[in-house]
Amino acid sequence: MVEVRLEKVSKIFGRVRAVDNVTVTFPESRFSVMLGPSGSGKSTTLYLVAGIYKPTNGSIYFGDKDVTNLPPKDRNVGLVFQNYALYPHMSVYENIAFPLRLQKLDESTIATKVNEVAKLLRIEELLDRYPSQLSGGQQQRVALARALAKEPSVLLLDEPLSNLDALLRLTIRAELKKLQQKLGITAIHVTHDQAEALSMADVIIVMDQGRVEQVGTPHEVYYKPRSLFVAGFIGSPPANILSGRIERIKDALVIEVAGARFEPSEDHLAVLRESNLEDIVIAFRPEHVLLVDEPIGRNLNVEAEVYVTEPLGKETIVTLVVAGNLMIKAVASPDYSLRSGEKVYVSVPRNKIMLFDPATGLNILHIAGESEPA
Amino acid sequence: MSYKVLRILRRRRYVMRYDVETIPARKINITLGVAVGLATLPVVAIYVLLTLSSFADRMLSGPDILEADYSIENWRLFFQGKLDPAATSLYSFKELIMIILNTLIVAAGVTVIVVLVSVMAGYAFSRMKFPGRRELMEFLLLLHAFPGVALIIAVYAIYVWSLKGIPSDILVPYRFTYTIFARAALEIPLSIWLMKGFFDKIPWEVEWSALVDGASRFKTWFSILLPQVKPGIAAIAVFAFLAGWEDLIYVHVFLYTGGIKTLATLIEEVIGNIETAYLPIAAAAGTLYLLPTIIFFIFTQRFLLEALTGGVKG
Amino acid sequence: MSRLIRQALFFLIPALILVAVFYIVPLFLSIYISFTGLKNWNLDRYLEQITLRNYERLFHMILYDPDVGKVVRTTIVFVTITLFINVLGGLGLALATFLMDEFISLPYRVLWMLPRMTPIAVYSLLWYYFFLGGEQGTLNGILLRLGLIEKPVSWGTDTDLLPYSAWSIIVAVNALVGVSFGMVIFYSALKSIPREQIMAARVDGASTWQIVRRVLIPQIRWHITYVIVWQLLSLITTYAHIFLLVEWGAVDRWYGSTWALYVFNTAFITSEQGIAAAFATILIIIGVILGMIALRILGYRRMIADIRGDI
Repeated sequence: MVEVRLEKVSKIFGRVRAVDNVTVTFPESRFSVMLGPSGSGKSTTLYLVAGIYKPTNGSIYFGDKDVTNLPPKDRNVGLVFQNYALYPHMSVYENIAFPLRLQKLDESTIATKVNEVAKLLRIEELLDRYPSQLSGGQQQRVALARALAKEPSVLLLDEPLSNLDALLRLTIRAELKKLQQKLGITAIHVTHDQAEALSMADVIIVMDQGRVEQVGTPHEVYYKPRSLFVAGFIGSPPANILSGRIERIKDALVIEVAGARFEPSEDHLAVLRESNLEDIVIAFRPEHVLLVDEPIGRNLNVEAEVYVTEPLGKETIVTLVVAGNLMIKAVASPDYSLRSGEKVYVSVPRNKIMLFDPATGLNILHIAGESEPA
Repeated sequence: MSYKVLRILRRRRYVMRYDVETIPARKINITLGVAVGLATLPVVAIYVLLTLSSFADRMLSGPDILEADYSIENWRLFFQGKLDPAATSLYSFKELIMIILNTLIVAAGVTVIVVLVSVMAGYAFSRMKFPGRRELMEFLLLLHAFPGVALIIAVYAIYVWSLKGIPSDILVPYRFTYTIFARAALEIPLSIWLMKGFFDKIPWEVEWSALVDGASRFKTWFSILLPQVKPGIAAIAVFAFLAGWEDLIYVHVFLYTGGIKTLATLIEEVIGNIETAYLPIAAAAGTLYLLPTIIFFIFTQRFLLEALTGGVKG
Repeated sequence: MSRLIRQALFFLIPALILVAVFYIVPLFLSIYISFTGLKNWNLDRYLEQITLRNYERLFHMILYDPDVGKVVRTTIVFVTITLFINVLGGLGLALATFLMDEFISLPYRVLWMLPRMTPIAVYSLLWYYFFLGGEQGTLNGILLRLGLIEKPVSWGTDTDLLPYSAWSIIVAVNALVGVSFGMVIFYSALKSIPREQIMAARVDGASTWQIVRRVLIPQIRWHITYVIVWQLLSLITTYAHIFLLVEWGAVDRWYGSTWALYVFNTAFITSEQGIAAAFATILIIIGVILGMIALRILGYRRMIADIRGDI
């Protein structure tokens, strides 16, 4: 098993920078997930690791070995595509055996290996069938089996769950994670579904427009987003983002936002005092919002009017209007009773508020100190 | 009372109107069907007349279908090589078999060459990034603009020149080979383009899977891609075969001048030698020659049309 | 040489060799021959000497030789009229079969492919009978029966009817074959127009003719251009379907020959390759110019899809 490392890798198609000067490490034997919207460069990065694309600039390492100029067949990677790409004219057995045949192994070794991996993925009964006779979930297992048959050092997965229906997706998510743990294989998984990423990953690499926005554990990425993009992309519903101004009155510092004011927490104060920012962007997650009749102490308390409520069974999502025309989402308990038009206070504890520099979009706590991951 | 009747009538009419969605309103269907039918009738008619005439005592022109005497006399004479009952045979039955075989050899040869060449080149144009790819493809299409008649003069000149160096025992195979390659070359630009279209339809991921699995380019092409373009190969093969089978000019120029006869030149000869009274014998020749085309038609009609339409854009 | 280029070459070599041997070399050789006095394929004797005489003769013949003059006129008439018929006929057939039930349209379309797929010799035979001068000719037979004529007419050769009769014959012969090209192209183009547009037009109350004029035809403009250009090129260079008719004497030799057939007959029957090649070179020039214009006009749409991946 190897660690996969990209150093200053760029991939340019014509005038489009699909991958822009990316330096990132996918740790050995871990489940890494590249998360981002369409066009963020995550699939392109995956294909660069696979060798299907050659970097315009930069180098790729598997452990200590520089694989930048190696063709895919010499890299020993397994690749599962979104549409599985099984060979339609071959049986499931033949599909899985194909990479082994290419290694010129003898029939009995091939048979053993195929059966082994088929058992691992529980598709032993399907070996005689043809891809067109299989369901989506079954095809995916076959694709996985084919990728794993040759015991690759890296397993690459390009949105393998996207084509499955919602229920199946949840089941397979867990199974994939278990499989990776069991095999201890270095896995790189690409998805645009942030819930999927949060649930499966050991490490999440958030990407946007060809650049890495943040590398971190699910917890870090969720609670300590490095940029506005990350805060707004992760979480369901995503974080609320509002523009505010900083008021400095002698030694004191107050943030004014949506018609309300609050004093930032100690950590923030420390950074803000050093800077001379005048405008600031604040963000907070809907599940940290308290909907109350009266303002609470030193929280950020904003006057709001309920716009719409969406009961979801285990919770209710409440959309509110503040400061005339800004929308905020909050998560309330399932039996939340207020209705459209009613007035409440949106109250957010100070330590749940995240502050971002409007010019760079970066979390002000990250600016101070943490080295850039990309 | 009358009000009720009116309402019923109106409802009926409403129900009878077709869904908006489908184009064929009944009236249009019938009008067009008849119109096109009338236009198509003459086309079909001349073929039918040919075949019928081969069994008749005279060349049929429509109204006299019912008046003629029918027999297989014409065919008998045709197989014996007699262009009229009193004449001596122009060729023997065995020679006729050879003539049919020769035509078959040309057709089959053209098929093999065209398929082989286009299945390889089509793949390269579809899947391999090489410098000049677009320009070369455009050039291939431009080849269509080269007047065939200009090329054939030089092709024949080269042929004549090369004949000098060919030992006599391989002369005949050489003539066939040259004819086949020359005729196949005419089909190449279009079949490469068509084959490229078929390869284009295979998802990239399938090929990438094979390459990641460790296959070489050749193995990927041979084991993974070729099986998936079988319909395309079949279509190209059928068209190439028909092109070879139906050819007149090349077999005339390259084989006939060398004493090798094919069905096309047979008909050419027959008309030159025959009395008009015995034209139905020529009709028999024509019908025989036409047979494979008709057979292909019956079995592959839909398939042919669909394959043809795949070839226009990108 | 990079690995990719080596691999590409492997797959391209057979095609490249064929193209070189049967297109490129002959092209230059033909042009070269036009500058020699090659006759009777006597390569040894004539190939060394370059002369401009063929071209002198060519221009002289075009201007003064009545037979060549007939060929020139025939070519012009033939190309324009057949082009017109092929494009409109193909369009008409495609539209008609498109608007019909699939069930009926398939047999019709298949039948119209018949002329194109028929062995050329048999096709020539069919027309030979049809226009035959005696009583046996199909056309004569029908017209005699119907009482429209009193005695059989030699359609292709009767001097009173020339040149129009000969022209009609060669146009008809080629049109029947040519129409199917447009039909196939237009039909598939029509099929690829999203059905919803037609439904929307119907809901808006459009009649079928309006749909044809306003929705369908505008969207196949590229295809119409493509067919016109392709057919034009094809008609200028075609000769196989009328070769036998001229050889058998079914049509007048001069009014039944296009420039391309004239080249062929001069090279292979009269056996004067030099001058034939000169005439052929004119054809080459026209063909190549038209071909390049064609690629320009159609080119921007001929998007040859990009290759993905770097392997």
